[in-house]
Amino acid sequence: MPKQLHQNICDKSLFESFFKTHAKNLHDFLFYKFGTHLNPEDKAQEAFVKLWENCKKVPPNKAKSYVFTIANNLMLNEVAHQKVVLKHQKTITTHHTNLSPEFLLEEKQYRQKLEQAIANLTEAQRVAFLLNRVEGKRFKEIATLLDISTKAVEKRIYGALKKLRQEIDEL
Amino acid sequence: MDKEQLILKWLDNNLTPQELEAFKALEDYEAIIKLSNYSQGFKAPNFDTEANYNAVLSKLNKTPKANKNWWTPVLKIAAILAICFGAYYYTTTLDTVIVTQLAEKSIIELPDNSSVNLNAQSSITYNTNQWTSKTREVSLKGEAFFKVEKGSTFDVITPSGTVTVIGTQFNVKQRLNYFEVTCFEGIVSVQSNDKKTILNAGQSFLIINNKTINSHPVTKHNPDWINNVSSFISVPLNQVLAEFERQYNVKIDAKNFDQNVLFSGKFTHDDITIALQSITQPLQLQYKKVNNTIILTRE
Repeated sequence: MPKQLHQNICDKSLFESFFKTHAKNLHDFLFYKFGTHLNPEDKAQEAFVKLWENCKKVPPNKAKSYVFTIANNLMLNEVAHQKVVLKHQKTITTHHTNLSPEFLLEEKQYRQKLEQAIANLTEAQRVAFLLNRVEGKRFKEIATLLDISTKAVEKRIYGALKKLRQEIDEL
Repeated sequence: MDKEQLILKWLDNNLTPQELEAFKALEDYEAIIKLSNYSQGFKAPNFDTEANYNAVLSKLNKTPKANKNWWTPVLKIAAILAICFGAYYYTTTLDTVIVTQLAEKSIIELPDNSSVNLNAQSSITYNTNQWTSKTREVSLKGEAFFKVEKGSTFDVITPSGTVTVIGTQFNVKQRLNYFEVTCFEGIVSVQSNDKKTILNAGQSFLIINNKTINSHPVTKHNPDWINNVSSFISVPLNQVLAEFERQYNVKIDAKNFDQNVLFSGKFTHDDITIALQSITQPLQLQYKKVNNTIILTRE
């Protein structure tokens, strides 16, 4: 085990660099896992505050999984397995102005189906899939983020893709 | 390369140009691309790292840093232990006190089954926890009749002296300027004014105004007051009247004549008129009752 430069994360500059590396990932993770209505931004902040309060007990190499676990637990305290609904933002249609009403209707239906299908994914599948597709993260990055193997990430994302396609075709 | 491998490689953004061509040739290429493009619509809202960091910092400054010294919890535990120990110590060393008021008598059972009859306006104090097989100690103020179970020495401590016995029946009367011990059974040792006196059954010991008085032998088995009678043999009248006041909770005014005259006789505790007559007739006194005070005068 490599010798650690810092025993803990109580140093302010260390804490700041740690925050800047992981805060966005934590926020995105919370968002994709629990949706927007539980305020992932607040929970991420709270988790970092907790880390600071307990900084003496948390070694730097455990800090990332510490904040992820804390934030996850904060979320779970609030959520009673409510259905996660991610709102689809209309970003795609902006530059087409002369679209036929049939196309618009079809597109609206597709979006609704996708929304429902994504809501039906397991949490693990949804988080991995959206981190990959939306945030453009590669398998290996997701694997470190979630503390799982690359193989597991592959499985989750491919499983999610398959399930989404199936559900959209059926609906 | 099979379809799943191609799709995975595409997902991981890891396709060679030839593989990309092969991927594009897949029958569900269109559907996958469409799904992927539409998924972008679920993008998480923009996360402003800088603003969030400042928010966290402001929260950090607001939350007071808890003083996490190791000894604070230790101190808390120590304080609780101290309180518990104090309470335990206080309650277990607390003395048992039994007090009788004027015109009241009481019978008490001691921890070793010895019994104490307590006369009016008297008190005894003892501590159950220090009451062991080796020492039995009772503090007495006033008058009491003891029936002591056989066992170790039994001490009755009074301001006028200590009475030590082993297993016996005896009466102790300690009043102002008056100390009398009567032994009814067994042997009693009386320690008073650095003098030790041994009393056998039927003997008594009497000190009035610091003077030892030779007392008369006793033939009874109990002191008379147990049977609600006070009896005296050659006792100064003021002691008799003091006892009368205790038994009936009255005041006696007898300033007009010499109270040191000796009195021998009895009075009952049950009838104040008969009791008054038994005191006044032999001494040829008159009595008058005014409220709660009895005035005695020479005829």
